[in-house]
Amino acid sequence: MKKSLFTLLAGAAALASCSNPEDEFGPLVPRAPGVYVLSEGQFGQGGGIVSAYGISSKTLLTDAFGSVNKSAALGDVVQDMGVVSNRGYICVNASNKVEVVSVPDFKSVATIRNIRQPRYFASTSATRGYVTSWRGPYTNYAPGKVMVLDLTNNTVIDSITVGRCPEQLTVVNNTIYVPNSYDNTVSVIDASTNKVTSTVTVAAGPQNVVADQANNLWVLCSQPYGTTSTPPAALARFAPGSTAAQLTLPFASSGPKQLRISPDKTQLYYSYGGAEYRMATTATALPTTPFMRRNFNGFAIDPRDNSIYGAVSTGFTTNGYFLHYPAAGGKAIDSVTVKVGPNGFAFY
Amino acid sequence: MLVFTPFSPAFSRASRGPTGCALALGLLASLQGYGQAPVARPRPDTLVGRRHRLPEAQVRAVRPERFAVGSQRLEVDSAALAQYRNGTAADVLGARLGLYIKNYGPGQLATLSLRGTSAQHTAVLWNGLNIALPTLGQNDLALLPISGNTQLSVQLGPAAALYGSGAVGGALVLRTEPDWRPGLRGSVQGDLGSFGLRGGSLEARTATPTVAVRVAASYRQAQNDYPYLVREPAGLVRYTMQNAALRHQWSISPDVAWRVGTAGELTASVWLTDADREIQQGVSVAGSNAREIDQSRRLVLGYRQVTPHGGQWQVRGAWFEDIINYSDQGAISNSRVRTTQSQAEYTAPLGPRASLRLGVEAQHFAAVVDGYGPDAITENRAAAFGLLRYDPRPGLRLSANVRQAALPAGLAPLTPTLGAEWDLYRPAAPDSLAAADQPGLTLKTSIARTYRAPTLNERYWRPGGNPDLLAESGHGYEAGLRHRIAPAAHLVLETELTAFYQLVDNWVQWLPLGAGGTYSPRNLRQVRSQGLEASTALRGHLGRYRAAARVAYSYTQTQKTQGVAADSDPTGLQLAFVPLHRANVTTDHAWRGWLGSATYTFMSYVYTDASASGFLPAVGLLSATLGRTVPLPGRTSLTLLLQSTNLLNRIYDSYPARPAPPRAYSVSLRFAYN
Repeated sequence: MKKSLFTLLAGAAALASCSNPEDEFGPLVPRAPGVYVLSEGQFGQGGGIVSAYGISSKTLLTDAFGSVNKSAALGDVVQDMGVVSNRGYICVNASNKVEVVSVPDFKSVATIRNIRQPRYFASTSATRGYVTSWRGPYTNYAPGKVMVLDLTNNTVIDSITVGRCPEQLTVVNNTIYVPNSYDNTVSVIDASTNKVTSTVTVAAGPQNVVADQANNLWVLCSQPYGTTSTPPAALARFAPGSTAAQLTLPFASSGPKQLRISPDKTQLYYSYGGAEYRMATTATALPTTPFMRRNFNGFAIDPRDNSIYGAVSTGFTTNGYFLHYPAAGGKAIDSVTVKVGPNGFAFY
Repeated sequence: MLVFTPFSPAFSRASRGPTGCALALGLLASLQGYGQAPVARPRPDTLVGRRHRLPEAQVRAVRPERFAVGSQRLEVDSAALAQYRNGTAADVLGARLGLYIKNYGPGQLATLSLRGTSAQHTAVLWNGLNIALPTLGQNDLALLPISGNTQLSVQLGPAAALYGSGAVGGALVLRTEPDWRPGLRGSVQGDLGSFGLRGGSLEARTATPTVAVRVAASYRQAQNDYPYLVREPAGLVRYTMQNAALRHQWSISPDVAWRVGTAGELTASVWLTDADREIQQGVSVAGSNAREIDQSRRLVLGYRQVTPHGGQWQVRGAWFEDIINYSDQGAISNSRVRTTQSQAEYTAPLGPRASLRLGVEAQHFAAVVDGYGPDAITENRAAAFGLLRYDPRPGLRLSANVRQAALPAGLAPLTPTLGAEWDLYRPAAPDSLAAADQPGLTLKTSIARTYRAPTLNERYWRPGGNPDLLAESGHGYEAGLRHRIAPAAHLVLETELTAFYQLVDNWVQWLPLGAGGTYSPRNLRQVRSQGLEASTALRGHLGRYRAAARVAYSYTQTQKTQGVAADSDPTGLQLAFVPLHRANVTTDHAWRGWLGSATYTFMSYVYTDASASGFLPAVGLLSATLGRTVPLPGRTSLTLLLQSTNLLNRIYDSYPARPAPPRAYSVSLRFAYN
């Protein structure tokens, strides 16, 4: 009896300690392989989080940063996360900072503050990172910056002025391509000098740039943020080193977004008209039938097994969820609820 | 003053005898009531008299509340209001009435949620006119300084028949009443408080037999640079609140009432408010320096005339201008709306036991709003209403009201209301007791339909504004018991229990259903709110010691019950920012020149998202006032008030990522001439 009482008390104590947010030994990030799921959170409420999902254990740690780091809040509007070796770099847009965590355990390493309106992260090496940064208020934007980070000591060492509202940049052979989404240009930066070497004119509102197997660049141009009248959206292809579009594929209406490329760089993916489309990099016309009839707010392909992750955001006040599909698409393997506004993934 | 009314038998709860007798009784009761002057006693809805000017008969306006039989009504009495003289409606309604206020910080946006409904579901009336911002369809309570009003009450439940559009969860009724006591009275007050609070106010009243004038003004500023704690990976870090200052807040409100003969009264009221605020962002939002200028200019002219047959007609015209100029880091959003309103109504006695009011009103809005494009938008609305009060016998009071509004997109739903109060028993009591203090047990019930007209933003905002939006409609029921005993002389215990149920249909929700996926408002939802409200109040006096205490509890369950596929908010969950449980304790004590008062409000946790996952924890807040008045020669006096809010120093967020101030103090010194 006494022993059972003791067990009960010990159990209760253990339970209590588990639920105590101040306890340093909070729940842990599920064992790898896993995927980090970014949730923007409600603007102004500081509820942006990153969830960690163990792919084999099928367990979710909803707020990885808070759980591991003494209930600290990650910040407001979690926009993007890049992983370089064993570090994660999280762009927290409204908090004007980049949080650096160790991967996979998500322990806080550093906070790089005063990066205004950070959007996307890319790196050229394990020691050099680049973050696009918007300038100016909503609809009155000024030319943005690409902030250059020294990843050994997590400091800003340089900044490069580009066009307005620079979005999802990409790195190809020590050259950085920055789509300026409030303009009609892509800035090309030489990573060895951190200077803009050329500016390529594209259709209005370039959002993403990806490079395919042949090192062609694909630029998705869509509606500039906050604008109501939309110029025609287009997907354009550029040959390596060329500043003139080789191929321009216009969309019938506005709103394509989230241009992605498969790990083998042969298939393009984008979201358009409430569905996800797939297109071979060799194609010369836009696909007419969707790959998946789902409106994803975030889309990623796991480079380890080519399985597909799609984030579904259900408005600014409700929890969203993500779906995990086999590489060929089809029926979802998993559907997991996460916090408000899931918009992206990173793998560990 | 205000001794004669043509409807006294119908309205007097003390009308137990023939008409004349009832009139006298009511008068006597009122006089006694005034003499006792207990705190927190609702004003009797019978005749009101004061010692000063008894011989002069004058017409008292018949309030819409007379037609609100069976509805729950809360009033902040003038003694309590005096403690908040330099505060705003947000300060008073939360602390004194325990209502739930969604508050973004001290001096920041504060909106009222009555019976689980949203900010747009409370009609706000000033001197009988709706003053909700036509653009937003709501009021920021932090922009309604108390000094501009002499009366503040809240009617709970659907009440569009009485108060028009927006009275879905209830109505906040603000008034300035002329004070006909002869002579000059006035006071001037200065305030000093924590976190850079500075304020001052003055009030002056004077009256001749034909003219009564009141001027009130107040000023407040606050740095709001209070400390707060943030959990960071390294532990708790202390910060100081930035960009949250109330740079200034002015309120000036002159009122004039002029008696035209013995049957008429002309009134003019002006209320000017001007606030310049830094807009506090969530503490995890960096880089904002948002600022907002809010200016409102309100003018209402009224004329009331009594007919020889005991009827009363009244006309009112009003002109409002509301300006909101917002800027953040160079991004600017300006808006200016000019509203003209007119009302005409006639109130007629129907025999000795009933009265009928018929009226019409019209509103014209002219809005220049950045979000609507370069051109001014105009909109007209009109409504007609009929209100009937019938007391078939002394212990049974009935009302039946109806309003039909015409809106640009078509007719609003017809909104009738039925109400009844039935005295189940009324024991013999000393006639000296005020009517409102008469012991007894009363059953009360009401049933009402209501509506909310679409706001200008909902109709004209670009992109997304939906000119075809229908008015929200709602209906509700409430029933309850009111019990009153006087266990000892000078002691009254009043207990009230009310259950309510209401539905709001065509609830407007912004969803990405507009052209190109833009957010656009649609009539999509049905929301149900139901609950219980219980309160018990004890008041009494012993010699020169007067005391009052009130304990109130509310249970409010509010859920979305129907929606469409595009509306992803789940059904069957408690709505965000509606606490299930609320409790409120207030107590006031006065002895000789001393004054002591305390309020405690408890709010259970509130969800912060529609999925009912994130929440703000429950919080209980205590505030207190200690005061001392010293009479000085020449009919003057000096009052010192010490006040503290968040006395228990609770650490809490008033809204997600908006840490509330810690314990704060203020000291006020008032010099009064009577």
